[in-house]
Amino acid sequence: MADDFDQIQGILGTHRQQLLKRANVVATGIGYKQTADAKTETLSIVCSVKEKVPAARLSRQDMVPSAVDGAPTDVVQTGVIRALQAPTGRFRPAPGGVSVGHASITAGTLGCWVIKNGQKVILSNNHVLANSNGAEIGDAIIQPGPFDGGSFPQDHIANLTQFVPISFQGEPSACQFANAVIAVFNLGCRMFGSNTRYHVSKIKAEDNLVDAAIAAPLNDADIKDEILNIGAIQGTVAGELGMAIKKSGRTTGFTTGVIQQVDVSANVQYGAERIAVFTDQLLAGAMSQGGDSGSAVLDDNNRLTGLLFAGSDTTTIINRIENVFSALGVSL
Amino acid sequence: MRTIALVIVLIIPLLALGDDLGMSPSIQEVKKQNEKRLLDMPGVVSVGIGRDATGNQAIIVGLDAPNPKIEAKIPARLQGFPVVIQAIGSLKAQ
Repeated sequence: MADDFDQIQGILGTHRQQLLKRANVVATGIGYKQTADAKTETLSIVCSVKEKVPAARLSRQDMVPSAVDGAPTDVVQTGVIRALQAPTGRFRPAPGGVSVGHASITAGTLGCWVIKNGQKVILSNNHVLANSNGAEIGDAIIQPGPFDGGSFPQDHIANLTQFVPISFQGEPSACQFANAVIAVFNLGCRMFGSNTRYHVSKIKAEDNLVDAAIAAPLNDADIKDEILNIGAIQGTVAGELGMAIKKSGRTTGFTTGVIQQVDVSANVQYGAERIAVFTDQLLAGAMSQGGDSGSAVLDDNNRLTGLLFAGSDTTTIINRIENVFSALGVSL
Repeated sequence: MRTIALVIVLIIPLLALGDDLGMSPSIQEVKKQNEKRLLDMPGVVSVGIGRDATGNQAIIVGLDAPNPKIEAKIPARLQGFPVVIQAIGSLKAQ
């Protein structure tokens, strides 16, 4: 038997073409032959197949022989081999974990597909799909996001259907009483010739629970109900201290972390000027950067636990998925 | 002996009642009572519940940068619960 690497390489060179022609074979190479669970010390020609098929169902010319010119073979099931696609690319159908955004933003992450009134919709952040309260319902959502080269109408994938408004500190107040009082003050100012006018601002904004929005796809064929590099979601779970988590996002791809704090209240900056206070958040270590916002956060069993939206170089802040679902009236 | 027994019998329901009245607040309650004051301090960006170095439940205060002046104003314990200060950086929407 040929057990020398160079010798096997020579044999593989001679037979590669005819091996790759066999049905199901997607790759050939040299590796140690594997039995049920253990690796052996025997070098072999490894034929990777889409799926292992019983010999009885294969024609003779499609069967991988047990040895080629004295070199043992091994058949390993790998599935179809595809080029790995960067999450910043264009995906149709589009899974979670890829670039997405409102036409007026840079790019964020398509978290996952959820159900609203029986229809599958994109879940991400308000600041990704609704431009931090700046969007109108019905606005176009682009995949990939504008920063990644997405443009309207070629990459138009969905329309904004709903967002939870973010309450920022120091915003003009919607309080009718305060505005009425100030209107009287301003009238007085005008009557007495003063150039001063008063405005009502919120000193302390209401606390936010989520930064979340949904968008309905133009075409159901564009829905891929799984998350890139993670797979299908297996239900939901409440985040707890010490829980191992993972996410798949537009900028840093697949990363993992641990929930280090719960019941977190945090001051979060939106751009250079606005700050919003969030309560009941989950906090993990470094597992995201700009552009990962909107990523779905899952536990080790692929159960959805949160929606990533903010962070620093050392920290990631995550909305609880139960708060996201109840604020938007959505489910898995 | 009878007096001691009587005292014990009288004290036990009082202790149970004490718990019902919330005489020892939970870490969640203590955090909630103090978080506004903490978050209003310059440089404080987060207040949450985590664990200290020894694994005990603790109130974790996050700062945008190390700041001895502010750190000196944050108590080491709040109603018995340890307070841990961490410089975690400014939190930004991503």
